Amino acid sequence: MVLRKVAAFFILDFLEELSYPLTFIWCCGRIFFRLVAFYYLGQLMGEATSPYLTVYGGSYFPFVMVGLALASFQDVALTSIARKIYFGMYSGTLEAMLVTPTSLPAIVFCSVLYQFFSALLEILLYLGFSVWIFKISLAQANLPATAVLLILALLAHLPLGIISAGFLLAFKRNDPVTAMLGQLSALLGGVYFPLQILPHWLGTVSLFLPFTHALEGLRQAVLNGWGLRQLSTQITILAAFAVVLLPLSLAVFAWAVRQAKRLGTLSQY
Amino acid sequence: MASTPAVAVAGLSKYFPQLELRHFLALRRPPGVCALREVSFELMAGENLCILGPNGSGKTTLIKLIATLLTPTQGRIWVQGQDTGAASLSIKRHLGFITCNEESFYGRLTGWQNLAFFARLHNLNPKDAVPPVARVLKLEPYLDRRFFSYSTGIKRRFDIARGLLHQPDILLLDEPTTNLDPIATQEVRQLLAQLQGQGKTMIIVTHRLEEVQKMRGRLAIMKEGRLQEVQPAAGESLEDLYRQVVQGDGHGPA
Repeated sequence: MVLRKVAAFFILDFLEELSYPLTFIWCCGRIFFRLVAFYYLGQLMGEATSPYLTVYGGSYFPFVMVGLALASFQDVALTSIARKIYFGMYSGTLEAMLVTPTSLPAIVFCSVLYQFFSALLEILLYLGFSVWIFKISLAQANLPATAVLLILALLAHLPLGIISAGFLLAFKRNDPVTAMLGQLSALLGGVYFPLQILPHWLGTVSLFLPFTHALEGLRQAVLNGWGLRQLSTQITILAAFAVVLLPLSLAVFAWAVRQAKRLGTLSQY
Repeated sequence: MASTPAVAVAGLSKYFPQLELRHFLALRRPPGVCALREVSFELMAGENLCILGPNGSGKTTLIKLIATLLTPTQGRIWVQGQDTGAASLSIKRHLGFITCNEESFYGRLTGWQNLAFFARLHNLNPKDAVPPVARVLKLEPYLDRRFFSYSTGIKRRFDIARGLLHQPDILLLDEPTTNLDPIATQEVRQLLAQLQGQGKTMIIVTHRLEEVQKMRGRLAIMKEGRLQEVQPAAGESLEDLYRQVVQGDGHGPA
């Protein structure tokens, strides 16, 4: 029964995506051109960057490529649930779903599954283009550790997306904190540059972002082939974020649903 | 032994809180806007209740409360004997809520894909659930076209089809013929009569007198959140009765 509902949402999103045949080509093009830009930026910087990047293999391009890939994944975790809720509210599909024997938490979780599948495909596109076109060697990548880090990155960021969706349900406005967190993570999480070049106090602030630890771990797993034991610090921190934030986010979301049913705002935006 | 009502509503009230800054700061917050006041009724299986009332009288609020899309401020609702507050998921197998919002579909998908999605949410196999309702609603020629390409009348038929996918025994319809042209209106009315003939329990809310005149069953008029069941006296037109109740001269709810 649960699988049928999971399949319902997955098929729905897949068919919607398929109805825009240029989406995949556009996505490939966006990733390709972004990689080209950073590839030549890396060429321009050449060896000058290597003192900061020694721990990641010394080259800028593979360093930034992993950062870009994880940033797109984080974006999905932070924004996709609220986007889905927003569409459901203004189109009326949310009410139509809620009169079926499907709970709102189930609707929320199932409706983002395809988004995560799609985000994983994007990561694969980043890695694939880097290997195929830019001749980056990823032979040393530790795949089990990469998979574990991606799952933990998802579990640590998803609660922020759930809180954002709850905020949208309750107040009819996008949550400014989550939007700011996305920007902060890109800036302070180390997508474009190593954290060592930040002032000490900013580097300390970045440690409070789950993204910083997810990205550091992912770079070590993909570029240096670190295994689960070597990544235990990042894994523990991400698990702690998930353990604390998941129940909190579910409580916030349940409160938002109660508010929306009390105020009659499930279909208002 | 008396049988269980299909729908029972007891002392149902709904206040929508006013969300203004000055109310947050006040020591005693006002109760909010009253949409329903102590509404009670029972509907047995196979019965129909048409609820007539002007805009803003609380009709849609009542139907959404029964569909568990809203929580009551006071009072209780039972569907097939189950309290909606305690068993809101399981009672949805009995309820077919026809939203009459023809935009509440996925426009880029075909009619079949839309109905298949909602069938899966009811834990049904779309291949079993969709064809019978598509046949009844004469939707077969449209199933493979994208939803956005349909006329409003066809979209409304899809909306009704969605509410019937799981063969519910109770139907809730909110303004089923609004925005439809005369031919599409007539088709929907024929369909409702057909569903009545099949023994479905129906609650239809509308502000159109001619809607009620075409339906058989009980009639209630809603005014300012209060529901009063009425029966036109011999020789009394429905329009006169409605005017009397809504304008408050004589029959109006206390």
